[in-house]
Order: sequence, then C-alpha cells, then structure tokens
Amino acid sequence: MTTEAPLLRLENISKSFGAIQALRDISFEIGRGEVVALLGDNGAGKSTLVKIISGGLEPSSGKVIYDGAERHFTSPADGKAAGIETVYQDLSLCTNVDVVANFFMGREIVKKYFGIPVLQEKAMEDVVAQAMASAGTKIPSLRTNVEHLSGGQRQAIELNRFVHWGGKLVLLDEPFAALGVEQTRRGLDLIRRIADQGIGVVFITHIMSQAFQVADRMVVIRQGMVAGDVRTSETSPDQIVHLITGEALGGRARTADHTNGQAQHAG
Amino acid sequence: MLSSNRRAVIEFVLDHLVWFILIAVLALFSLAIPNYFQIGIFANIVEQSTFVGTLAIGLSLLIIAGYMDLSIESVMALAAMVVGILFAKSGVGFGFSFTPAWLVVPISLVIALGVGALVGASNAFFVVRLKMNSFIVTLAAFIWGRGLVVALSGGRSAQELPAELRFLAIERFLQIPLMGWVAILATLVFAFILNRTPFGRHLLMIGGNPTAAYRAGIKVDKLTAITFVLAGSIAGLAGWLLAIRTSGATANLGVGMLFQTFAAVVIGGVSLKGGVGSLPGVYAGVLLLASIQTAINLMGMPAHFTQLIQGGMVLVAVLLDTFKLNIRKRLA
Repeated sequence: MTTEAPLLRLENISKSFGAIQALRDISFEIGRGEVVALLGDNGAGKSTLVKIISGGLEPSSGKVIYDGAERHFTSPADGKAAGIETVYQDLSLCTNVDVVANFFMGREIVKKYFGIPVLQEKAMEDVVAQAMASAGTKIPSLRTNVEHLSGGQRQAIELNRFVHWGGKLVLLDEPFAALGVEQTRRGLDLIRRIADQGIGVVFITHIMSQAFQVADRMVVIRQGMVAGDVRTSETSPDQIVHLITGEALGGRARTADHTNGQAQHAG
Repeated sequence: MLSSNRRAVIEFVLDHLVWFILIAVLALFSLAIPNYFQIGIFANIVEQSTFVGTLAIGLSLLIIAGYMDLSIESVMALAAMVVGILFAKSGVGFGFSFTPAWLVVPISLVIALGVGALVGASNAFFVVRLKMNSFIVTLAAFIWGRGLVVALSGGRSAQELPAELRFLAIERFLQIPLMGWVAILATLVFAFILNRTPFGRHLLMIGGNPTAAYRAGIKVDKLTAITFVLAGSIAGLAGWLLAIRTSGATANLGVGMLFQTFAAVVIGGVSLKGGVGSLPGVYAGVLLLASIQTAINLMGMPAHFTQLIQGGMVLVAVLLDTFKLNIRKRLA
C-alpha cells in the first residue's frame, strides 16, 4: 500500500469556528484499500475532520491532497463527484419515500421522452434488489417507505448504497451507533469487503473492539490534534485508551507502556 | 406489529382518504337533498372547482417541498387585473386587440403567467437567497399583491374581455366549460411531474429531509426557487381563467380563495410537515369543498353559512392531518 502515492493526504489541516480551534495541524494519510479507524473522545474533532474531507466544511488552513492533486471541495456534491462517499451519524435518508428512491437519491435512472426525463422505476428496483441480495440484506418490500423500517434496515440501505456507488474513498461517521450485534458484525464484514476492492475507508468509532476488528491503522485525535497514528498490529487497546484520554490509567496503562516500549504521558 | 398486508390496506385508505370522504359526502347529499343527484349539478361542481383547483397545484408543490405560499390568491387577482386592464374593452380596460384576433389568447396567457412568475421569483429571492421564513415572505406578498391590484385599478373594474377569450368559459365539453378542463389537465400534468420525473422526486425528498437531499448532491436551493416561480405562474394561470370567467376583473376578485385552497390542499392529503401528498388527492379535496358549497346553495341556506362551514373545514383538515400522522406513527 505504500508503493504508490496515498489516496488521501492531509497536510497541516486546521479549522477554527470563531475563537474555538476545532482542529490543529492535522496530518495523516490513507492508502488505497486501507481501513483507518479514527478514534477520539467526544468533541475531539473527528466529525469536523470527516466533514472537511467530504467537502461539507472548508479547512481554515492546510491542504487536502486527494488522488494525486490538491482539492478544494466546497460542497458534499464536489466530494461525491470526486468519488468520496460519506455515511453520516444521522442517516442521510428521506424517510418519506421508498427504499428504491433513497438508493438512487440524486442519481435516478431516467429515460427521455420528448426531452422530458421520466423515472424508470422498474429498472431502478431491479438494481436495488440485486444490490441488496448480493449484500445479504433482507427488506420485506423495496417499495416500503423508509419510515416503516427498523434502524438496522435503514443502516443497511445506507451502507449498501455507498457500496453500490463505490467511489474511491468512503467515510463512515459512527455508522454502527444504533445497530445490534449481528448487524454490526455484518457491517464490519462489509467494510473489509469494500477495502478489498481497493477503496480507502475512514471509519469513526467510539467502540474500540470494532476498530481492532477491522482497521489496518488507527489515528487518534485528541483536542483537535493527532495524538497517535499506529498500525493495529503494533498496538493494544490499552495504548489506544491512553492516547484518547491523554492520561495513564493506573496499572493497565503501565502494562501497555511496557509491552510497547513507548511511554507517552500527557503534557 | 401489524401484518404487512393489513398495514398496506390502512396505508392505502390513509393515502386516498379524501376520495372515500368525497364519495361518502356525494352519496349522502344525493340521498338527503332533493335535486342534488343530477349530471348538471356534478358538472357545476367541477366548474366551480376550476380556480381553487388550479391554485391548489402550486400551493401543494410548495407545501410538499416544505415551504408555504400565502401569496397565491393575490397573485391570481393581480394576473387577472393585468389581463383585464390590457384587454377588456370598458371600465379601466384599454381594450388592446390584435389581428388576427385570436392572438389575444396566447399573448394574454403569457402575460398572466409572467406576472405570476415575477411574484414567485421575488418570493424565491427572499426565501432562498436571504433565508427568510416563507410564511412571512408570502404573507407580505399576499398583502402587497392585493394592494397593487387596488392601486392599478384605482378600485374600479375592467369589463368585457374579447369573445376569443370568452369562448373558454362558454364552450363546453361533456357539460364542463373548457376552462374546467384546463384545470384538470394542469392537475394531471403536474401530477405526472411530481410522480414520474426526477424534479418531482427531488421535491418530495427536499420536503422529507433537505439535509439528506443536499448531501446526495441535489441542488436544493435551485429546485426550491424553481418551485416558487412555478407556484406563482400557476396562480397566474388561475388569474387568467378567472378573468375570462368574469369577463374582466374587479379589485376584490377572488378574495377568500386562499383559505379555500389551503383547506382543499390539506383535506387532499398534503401534510403540513412536508414531503407527503399527491395532486389527484388535492383535486378531490377541491371537489369535496365545492360539493359542500353546492349543497348549501341547494338547501337555500344564506351565503354566510358557507364561510362558517369553510372555516370549520380548515380546522377539520388540520385535525385530520394530525390524526393521520398519529395513525402512521403507530403503524411504524
């Protein structure tokens, strides 16, 4: 993964909202096919960072280098056009329309009659049915409005949507916050499968075990700065907790320091 | 949990509730009121529904997208007055004419649509660009629009539109005047746009979750602005039809139609929270109001009863909306 230029490189990204500095000097890279877990406490700046990558926010300073060129995205539509798909904490679904309509939101299949674009419902339904079947997701009827579906089913629509539309980089902002055990496991499998297709994945989570199951690398953000950037195979949950909180946690943290031979104290 | 079949039935009934109410009300009136059950009466109901039916299209589109347009009644009156002033032969009318004479039909129509589109564009500017509340912006347009009608006409009326225009109100097809068919055709065209084109689909999505629509790359601001202009133009169309019907325009033309339209839209199943509604249902709501009005006339009740009942209907409509929402929540 290090043989070619990284898919995304952030260089010294800072972002302030008025007097509040949300992000300070953030730099890290994501390779093609790499899963990076973004960890950090509440308010550490993870969601702000994801918005900057996706185009929802512009950085106050610093560079976003994506796919070999510096980018200045001004809206999520720009990011999407460049192949960056985002799954937000609060789902991006319109619950008042059906599953098919949500799947194709903004990218409907149309056929022109006398210059008037007409929705091709049957063709769209077939595509969605196929995508859902290949992901092993069961939804009673694709013509049900999303408001009648469970949290897990909604999540599945959202995840399958970005798998289908692909792109080059996928950003997931706490995608499994509302899911059960089995659905989470399936979601994690899905992340692995996406990465195996050569797509880069950035994955925000609070839950350490999820990060350890699926991530190749972990980037810890604390108080708007990168507190640690470590390979999953070379770290331990204790060390990560330590990086997140910035404090030694009694005996357990000392063990972590011991096993990794790198003591990092808050300061 | 309900079985999905039973839920589908309840959903179907809720979605088409207004049609069931319309059929029930028509059946009740036909049985209870002598002379109600006649083709002529039903044709008259359709005829009466022309103006409110047309206005309701634009209002529905905006409410579905999550906005409000109170200006439609004044826009309608303004378009009617402009057509009256330009083409009516007496009163404040200048009586412009063309050779061949039928040219007045497309020209007056374009002018009426244009007047509506201008007011719609002004509403769009304040709501979309300046991020003002659409209720307030269009309330202001409702007031200044009517003011402009009075100012333009000096409070007087324009009379006698040319026969080339009048034929739309006089000629009938299946007992319904041609302008009644114009309203029905407009409803069908916009129903198609709402249900079968990406534009309509995106409007529903903006009404349901504008953030999600924006994130999906839908141009929310542009579509909203287009919808305000459309609603204005459709009100202009209603004004054109109303001028033809009354063969001119008066300063207080169409007063009170906003609330009838509003009631019809809500009764027709458009939810005030946005994202829900269908135009055929709205047309059924308009027919329902007209049938009730016809019943009041046939029973010889004084005209002010109509207003009392319409006020009540608006309340009932909003209550119904809340009630349906609650049922749907329980279904989910």
